[in-house]
Amino acid sequence: MPGFTHLHTVSGFSLRYGASHPERLAERASERGMDALALTDRDTLGGAVRFAKACAKAGVRPLFGVELAVEKAEPDGREKRRTPVRGGAFIDESTPRVTFLARDGARGWADLCRLVTAAHTAEGTPLLSWQDNHADGLTVLLGPASDVGRALAAGRPDRAARLLAPWREVYGDALRLETVWHGREGTGPGSLRLAARTVGFAAEQRVRPVLSNAVRYADPGLGPVADVLDAARRLVPIDGTRELDSGEAWLKDADAMLRAAERIVEGAGYRRDTARRLLEQTRATAAECLVDPEDDLGIGTVHFPEPHLVGADRRTAQRTLASRAAAGMVLRGYSGKRVYWERMHRELDIIAHHGFASYFLTVAQVVDDVRDMGIRVAARGSGAGSLVNHLIGIAHADPVEHGLLMERFLSKERVVLPDIDIDVESARRLEVYRAIIGRFGAERVATVAMPETYRVRHAIRDVGAALSMDPADIDRIAKSFPHIRARDARAALEELPELRRLAGEKERYGRLWELVESLDALPRGVAMHPCGVLLSDASLLSRTPVMPTSGEGFPMAQFDKDDVEDLGLLKLDVLGVRMQSAMAHAVAEVERATGDRIDLDAVRPGDPATYRLIRSTETLGCFQIESPGQRDLVGRLQPATFHDLVVDISLFRPGPVAADMVRPFIEARHGRAPVRYPHQDLEGPLKDTYGVVVFHEQIIDIVAIMTGCGRGEADRVRRGLSDPESQGRIRIWFAQHAAAGGYDAETIQRTWEIVEAFGSYGFCKAHAVAFAVPTYQSAWLKAHHPAAFYAGLLTHDPGMYPKRLLLADARRRGVPILPLDVNASGVAHRIELVSESGGFEGVGGTGGSEGSRVPEGSRVPEGSEAPEGSGVPGKVWGLRLALSDVHGISEAEAARVADGQPYASLLDFWERARPSRPLAQRLAQVGALDAFGANRRDLQLHLTELHRGARGSGGGGGQLPLAGGRKTAPAGLPDLSSAERLSAELGVLSMDASRNLMDDHRTFLDELGVVSARRLRDAGHGGIVLVAGAKAATQTPPIRSGKRVIFTTLDDGTGLVDLAFFDDSHDACAHTVFHSWLLLVRGVVQRRGPRSLSVVGAAAWNLAELVELRAENGLDAVAARLAEPVPEGSGDPAGGRRIHMPTGYEMHPWADLRPAGEEPAKARKLWHQSPGSAG
Amino acid sequence: MTILCVRFQLPPTDEAALPGLLGLLEEFTPVVEALPPDGALADLRGAERYFGRSAVELASVIRVRALALYGVDCVIGAGPGPMLARIALRDAQPGVTCAVPEGAVAGFLAGKPVAALPGVGAATARTLGEYGLDTLGLVAAAPLSTLQRLVGAKTGRELREKANGIDRGRVVPNAVSRSLAAERPFTRDELDADRHRRALLSAAEELGSRLRAVDKVCGTLTLTVRYADRSSTTRTRTLEEPTAHSAALTKAAYGMYEALGLQRARVRSVALRAEGLGPAEQASYQLAFDPVDEKVRRVEEVADRVRAKFGPRAVMPGTLAA
Repeated sequence: MPGFTHLHTVSGFSLRYGASHPERLAERASERGMDALALTDRDTLGGAVRFAKACAKAGVRPLFGVELAVEKAEPDGREKRRTPVRGGAFIDESTPRVTFLARDGARGWADLCRLVTAAHTAEGTPLLSWQDNHADGLTVLLGPASDVGRALAAGRPDRAARLLAPWREVYGDALRLETVWHGREGTGPGSLRLAARTVGFAAEQRVRPVLSNAVRYADPGLGPVADVLDAARRLVPIDGTRELDSGEAWLKDADAMLRAAERIVEGAGYRRDTARRLLEQTRATAAECLVDPEDDLGIGTVHFPEPHLVGADRRTAQRTLASRAAAGMVLRGYSGKRVYWERMHRELDIIAHHGFASYFLTVAQVVDDVRDMGIRVAARGSGAGSLVNHLIGIAHADPVEHGLLMERFLSKERVVLPDIDIDVESARRLEVYRAIIGRFGAERVATVAMPETYRVRHAIRDVGAALSMDPADIDRIAKSFPHIRARDARAALEELPELRRLAGEKERYGRLWELVESLDALPRGVAMHPCGVLLSDASLLSRTPVMPTSGEGFPMAQFDKDDVEDLGLLKLDVLGVRMQSAMAHAVAEVERATGDRIDLDAVRPGDPATYRLIRSTETLGCFQIESPGQRDLVGRLQPATFHDLVVDISLFRPGPVAADMVRPFIEARHGRAPVRYPHQDLEGPLKDTYGVVVFHEQIIDIVAIMTGCGRGEADRVRRGLSDPESQGRIRIWFAQHAAAGGYDAETIQRTWEIVEAFGSYGFCKAHAVAFAVPTYQSAWLKAHHPAAFYAGLLTHDPGMYPKRLLLADARRRGVPILPLDVNASGVAHRIELVSESGGFEGVGGTGGSEGSRVPEGSRVPEGSEAPEGSGVPGKVWGLRLALSDVHGISEAEAARVADGQPYASLLDFWERARPSRPLAQRLAQVGALDAFGANRRDLQLHLTELHRGARGSGGGGGQLPLAGGRKTAPAGLPDLSSAERLSAELGVLSMDASRNLMDDHRTFLDELGVVSARRLRDAGHGGIVLVAGAKAATQTPPIRSGKRVIFTTLDDGTGLVDLAFFDDSHDACAHTVFHSWLLLVRGVVQRRGPRSLSVVGAAAWNLAELVELRAENGLDAVAARLAEPVPEGSGDPAGGRRIHMPTGYEMHPWADLRPAGEEPAKARKLWHQSPGSAG
Repeated sequence: MTILCVRFQLPPTDEAALPGLLGLLEEFTPVVEALPPDGALADLRGAERYFGRSAVELASVIRVRALALYGVDCVIGAGPGPMLARIALRDAQPGVTCAVPEGAVAGFLAGKPVAALPGVGAATARTLGEYGLDTLGLVAAAPLSTLQRLVGAKTGRELREKANGIDRGRVVPNAVSRSLAAERPFTRDELDADRHRRALLSAAEELGSRLRAVDKVCGTLTLTVRYADRSSTTRTRTLEEPTAHSAALTKAAYGMYEALGLQRARVRSVALRAEGLGPAEQASYQLAFDPVDEKVRRVEEVADRVRAKFGPRAVMPGTLAA
């Protein structure tokens, strides 16, 4: 019995419909003896590439198709239902759906792409209109969900015949009627009677019938998963009293399909052996559909934009590139240097060898366009290693000077597409996209899709809603989990200490866990990839289905970034980097306020104040070096030059940290250990890093020197190192060639050890150089223009820390924080001259003026002169908070408020700025309206009346009771207390703007004997201390020991305390650490250097809870709480299970995840957390 | 110290027990005002002298009798006026009668949240809270004009008086239970309109028969739909004429339900409340030429009698029996 071909199969790419991954379908097809399998996802071809690859692996011929909703030929009048007062309307799924299969090779594929693209031009859900519904290269299956099928289900063969006519007109002989039997009762889809009617109707109408199983999942037993997906798609709970999924829509084997065919033909009144003919028709239809993944989809070929678009209309692209590079040599002053010329020609040869010249020109064109728009742009990645890139203006750093290699980027031996990433200002990223589309045309440019897949939290939410669970329960359970894969839900419950309480009630939720795990990694939506842009020639739309993105309406290819590479489409990564935006904002602010123009790309290298700042480890907000681990590393490494920064960035990667490259490097750097080279010949590449291998480039050089092969070959070898299989082969090859080069066995052995251990971990130096440039620039800004720097940071929020922490840092560094004021604040954060002479007492007399108090001794980092306030000595610049940080303000409102400045009175503000009432109330709460007189509550009352008056229902008729000119009269309401003001600031601005929130607890903390962060610097190694603060960041990164360590940073107003919790304390602490915002921790001081200090936590308490106990019931209640027994540690619950990375090192299964609980940045409440949330 | 506010700890659906408990209070004083579903105010001005005991001592007697006769515990607050007695009730526990001290009313009220005042609902309390007036002491201290700007002229004036402990209320004897409620919860998120309607029908039937059992008619009907996220929608409709006729109640309930137009809302329960209860003999009844209405009412009468004899499930609408 030959295999059966399923012509109608959907995968998980049919959002919230298909329950199996394309790979699984291909595997199962192969296991069940099928030779071919079609993938016909709903509204998308996004799974096609993965499917094609999986089919090639499984030995199954792939057929490509799509299932689309098609406009009805005859529109039917539909009554409009009343708009529901609650809960929303039902999702309308009434449009008929039809399956299209690509038949004639590339033409069929192009037709499919065109149809999908056309369907996505409709408003709302994708819908193919009748005028787009035609194609020569497609086969069409009209199944039970089509209009014809529905008419048959309704018992109206006459109507079915009428509806069939337009289809027959368009598709003629390529039309098939699809019959499906899922063992259902009645005459609906999946019923035997409809299946039989379809076969009978097909015979009557002389249209060929085919048999399919309308597959939604690969294996039997997945019906309940399909029910959950249906519920999630329709946004309703599963209703057990209605018809659920039949459980039959799996990838049945040939025998089962033969039995189905027999039942159907018998039902239609034919003899049983007619079933063979039905199957024969199906097979013939499948045999016609011939689309070759390589030839027809274009996998493996490259398409660049046409040369005339990139400035090469009269000459070849290669010649244009060569002349531009030569011009760059002259422009940059390298024309006299022979090394540069040689290198340039060598690189141009390699580019010509691959024919990639127009690629370089394309990128250069984009970079030029972006720069012309006044947007900061920088190349990153291995592309920075190419001199040609530098010469034509793509990369900033000079690769020859920094010792970067072209071969790491592109060589004759490498056949993959090179990859140049460019960083632009994040805030203007979309402008860049528009410019690229404008330059190359919408038919050549598309953004790349990024499927959002189910992870544990979303899976719990969707399954919980489908199972009618209490929304509060769902929320609590979802938030308890760290951001892990859905399939690990039950394992996490068993093993994670912070989930122990939840694990206790696990049984209550029945099938929840099983269903959650079955949703693992299924796509649940498609978003625009944040950085990829496709650039191609004019044939893009016939090779790629394109849909508009939801917000901006950019064209977006349905393929994700990996698919795009396989399809040979040129992808340019345009990354929006918030730090670039932040720096651009800082520079603009300095220019606005002082008139000085700073060219960041031309700042003096080796600035001592900048390096002093970096060495002080007060690098909060500086690009790449602000994390707790980096601050620790910077403290130990003490960078003094740009090269040190490059090394620092390269060392702080999971690989080098895991391979413990940091310690030998630091020892050698500070002269505590001798510098050793495996062989004298290797001194050249290893000298700069004291004999420690840090960069990929060094491995390339080592291999090239020892074996005498070229660097291009050496790079290929380096790439092979991460694969354990090829590693063995490389080892033998290396030993042979090195021996031939005259090296002795011991040297070879030692060198190989280094290559083996570090080769796959090291970091690409070109990357690190590209990173180090903004690192230096941001540190320079922080050292010289602190106010503007913080203004930029707060406006664009680039870092890992919540804004309130940046504000605390600004306060510590002596930048006066000026409160929000509708007459002074702009849309973005601004700088303001506070004092000409340096002292700035009595700043910002409006409202929260206590905010500008500066803790003594923390104004200026030790040993440096006063920050050169925006370049002019003696002047002090303050930071004025921005309107855009007010919770719930829209861009338009912020702009209106800023444009209308200044306002003379509350009434004036109300009438001209026209804020919404809640916004005006919030502004009043945080003191932005304090200038208009009266206290904040009185102002709120006036605003309410103004609002009432504006609605024309009574009120004061627009007249404000005036007291003394333009001031608002007091109404006698109690003013906000100091704690209420702080709470309002946190609620409205998410920042404690007037003072640090920990200041309020100082008395209590002193009672407890808590050590402040500032005093902790003097604490001795090994001492037991109590620390407290607001949680700023929590991470569980992968670390060398393969254990799970929770790193937390606390901010207590005087500085930061870095904490580490090792796994023996997790049972006692993990839940508290993840789910509380204010923490009190007992721990042991660990000191590793003068600037390297952390506290190893042993016990943790929720400080907010203790504060409340202290306030209500006194110290004894606190003592009682502290005396409560702490759960005992039971060792590592993962039972020593480790994830073995392909590179050989081990990782704890639950490390490297976004941890449980709310992100600290989202904490808006001061003391309490609502009972519904995870805290 | 003469007014008692009593709350009996009755199970929620057992409002039928209230008249008996009111009778218990009437043994002490004729001036008893029912606060349905489970409370009452009693003016003991005469009783104190008659029994020779103070109101607080009488409160203990009332509790003992309620427990002895009906097995129902109660909480009692005492104060010089009905409002203060009600506020005192908030602080009382079974066996601990809370009394407002006669001379120190202002001090007693100062620390109380505004929502403790009878007549201050959630909306007013929220408004006052937004302006920092969250305790009665602060309200009492705020200027009258400001209060009036906040909540309106009349409410503002009353609010300020009440916050200052000026209690102008009286206990008005009324023996009537003023509302009846019936709720139908669902075991899971229910979206099906037919099942919603079935629940409404069943609730309306129940209300009708309970009203007829006590010879009452209701003037308005309130529908409350509760959703899975613990929010709810409430609609009230005044009936064309006060009635206890199940069919009329059902029609009104359906009308309110249809107007909501619910589709995907996850309904966890529907509740009907009959309000504006009055004696049945005083209700007017629009006669019609259509004999059907007349017949339905007569069938209902018979059905009521059957139910009285054979239990509540003996006769019911066909849709509910399925």
